[in-house]
Amino acid sequence: MQTMKETPADDFIAGPDDLILVTGATGFMGSRLVAHLLDSGFRNLRCFARPSSAVGRLEALCNSATGAGRVQVLTGNLLSRDDCMTATAGVAVIYHLAAGRGEKSFPDAFLNSVVTTRNLMDAAISQQSLKRFVNVSSFSVYSNMNKPKGRLLDETCPVERNPEKGRDAYCFAKVKQDEIVSDYGQRCGLPYVIVRPGYVYGPGNEGMTFRVGIGTFGLYLHLGGSNEIPLTYVDNCVGAIALAGLKPGVDGEVFNVVDDNLPSSRSLLRQYKKNVRKFTSIYLPHAVSYLLCYGWERYSEWSQGQLPPAFNRREWHASWKKSRYSNHKLKTRLGWSPKVSTVEGLRRHFEACRNRGQNA
Amino acid sequence: MLKAAIVGCGKIADSHASQMLRIKGCEIVGVCDRELLMARQFADRFPVNRCFSDLTELLDEARPDVVHVTSPPQSHFGIAKLCLEAGCHVYVEKPFTLYEKEAEVLISLADRKGLKITAGHDDQFRHAARRMRSLIQSGYLGDGPVHMESYYCYEIGSSGYAGAILGDPQHWVRKLPGKLLQNIISHGIARIAEYLVGESPQVITCGFVSPLLKSWGESEIIDELRVIICDEERTTGYFTFSSQMRPELHQFRVYGSNNGLILDQDDETLIKLPGARLPSYAEKFVSPVATAGQYLSNVTNNLRSFLLNDFHMKSGMKYLIESFYRSIVEGTPVPIPYREILLTARIMDSIFAQLGARESQAKQYQSAQPSVPQL
Repeated sequence: MQTMKETPADDFIAGPDDLILVTGATGFMGSRLVAHLLDSGFRNLRCFARPSSAVGRLEALCNSATGAGRVQVLTGNLLSRDDCMTATAGVAVIYHLAAGRGEKSFPDAFLNSVVTTRNLMDAAISQQSLKRFVNVSSFSVYSNMNKPKGRLLDETCPVERNPEKGRDAYCFAKVKQDEIVSDYGQRCGLPYVIVRPGYVYGPGNEGMTFRVGIGTFGLYLHLGGSNEIPLTYVDNCVGAIALAGLKPGVDGEVFNVVDDNLPSSRSLLRQYKKNVRKFTSIYLPHAVSYLLCYGWERYSEWSQGQLPPAFNRREWHASWKKSRYSNHKLKTRLGWSPKVSTVEGLRRHFEACRNRGQNA
Repeated sequence: MLKAAIVGCGKIADSHASQMLRIKGCEIVGVCDRELLMARQFADRFPVNRCFSDLTELLDEARPDVVHVTSPPQSHFGIAKLCLEAGCHVYVEKPFTLYEKEAEVLISLADRKGLKITAGHDDQFRHAARRMRSLIQSGYLGDGPVHMESYYCYEIGSSGYAGAILGDPQHWVRKLPGKLLQNIISHGIARIAEYLVGESPQVITCGFVSPLLKSWGESEIIDELRVIICDEERTTGYFTFSSQMRPELHQFRVYGSNNGLILDQDDETLIKLPGARLPSYAEKFVSPVATAGQYLSNVTNNLRSFLLNDFHMKSGMKYLIESFYRSIVEGTPVPIPYREILLTARIMDSIFAQLGARESQAKQYQSAQPSVPQL
């Protein structure tokens, strides 16, 4: 297993004293990434967070871990170009994790993912010191519509061309965010890498991915069946993100992040029930869930949105169609390997779920 | 064909576009947002001819008949004025303007130019609200309302819209004269204003920051508001805005000299409160059964509307837009009388003036207190 500590610093495009900016630094992944970079010997970090974020824990982490290092916690709004200029001043690497996560409205998701990213990139390209812009995207951007059942979903797969047709606000914003990052790469020479994690789990995100199923009116519908679930444990994921910002020769590349030995949906649900909480679930075979999504989609169209198109064939293909996943590119190009096995990751996750008393 | 444009491509603009597209003979000829990316994302999702980041370009090049102003409230007056001056009819989202003076200027400008203008009080045009209006107009209450109670509550969480406001000292909502209240309460105030007779009602206001918000370190955002409105010693109204009370009511209760009505916006129900009392024990048994029957009838109404594909979450907005467009095309009266828009603005001005005066008094009092020497 190769970790960053074992990698000589001169293999990286940034040295331990180069300034690294992490946006969304108080978030689930952002805070872990900051800790990971500090553990890996990077001593000059700038952590950017919204004014509403709880920065106390981050400040404590920085104070305890840095020693002689410089760690700055900066609060601001990426919608402000001035704040973006302040945040990017003198940076060598930007890890852009801030996003409109959980937004249900398309304009809000777009504003907080795309407009913010544009502002940050505009500020970043004016800095001569910038060596890499890491855009953290999502698996949700992939289109699975015209892919044969069971085929591998990897970095070569097409991204949704019309995310506005049936996909949710988060997917729409992430597709547009990736588009604008690629565009800046081509037009302005922005040295970027896009990282697309699968479902990131671990303490701090104790839910159950919708790829397994959905709870509605007190009933849990199991939709995943024998599908492989593209999980990545949070520490493994931030390890991959960190490497994407530091490895030379990967500008313009896209990396999917999933762990090894992925469980099936059925196995994951069984383990969850055994380790966290027992509840009744009903399995809907793929043909049934597909037909229901199709029916919902048609009704939504016919009724001009009396029921919003929350379930539709595009969503079904993206979330519940049987696919296989690969981390081959991540391993070969970035030298990444998962630090935490899936068995251990799930053990920690279930323990956190129990502690939190979270329901499926 | 009515050519429409939307200015401001935030969340509420989506609702406008969705409802406008359901109206026959309406075409969205252009959208405008100061941030061109926002206009483009809108055009990616709705059939829109052109995107603009400059309002004058939109007006000159797209030449809309009607403009929907869905930008933040601070910009409503300026945008609406420019649109009226360019000869466009205007639909302004709530709150109509920041101050009554601005509302007066817009309405008088629209009148002078022979144009129509309306405010986005779409909640007043939902199914149950329309049934209520018909009943009142038919004289169900008696001589008219004696007393009204309007509840317009709002759940404040630490995430989402409220979280963004609470966490950002520079958020545009904080810069409104009435802050969070100004962006929300006009729906509930307008319900009362519709049935006031006089032009200058007395307004008595009490507002404060809830203990929950205080515990989060918030001292500016007032999220508990109680208002008494007294109209020429004839009709009275209570208005309640609360972020803390549960259930989170959106209700309007109106009592006349004969009967009363309860409108529940969330359940989309309208319940009649008969003024005549039943004899003795009949009141204990017959009345609850009759009320249960009314709820059942509401369920049937709602189900029928749903099956007829007329029960969208924003059905009130569609009705209001359609009525407004009809008033433009056919010259019928505007769906919301201008007097009601002005009265709503006047009451809101009075509420915020009282809250502001109290806040500055409190600050003066605090600064006037002698400091206690530290021993």
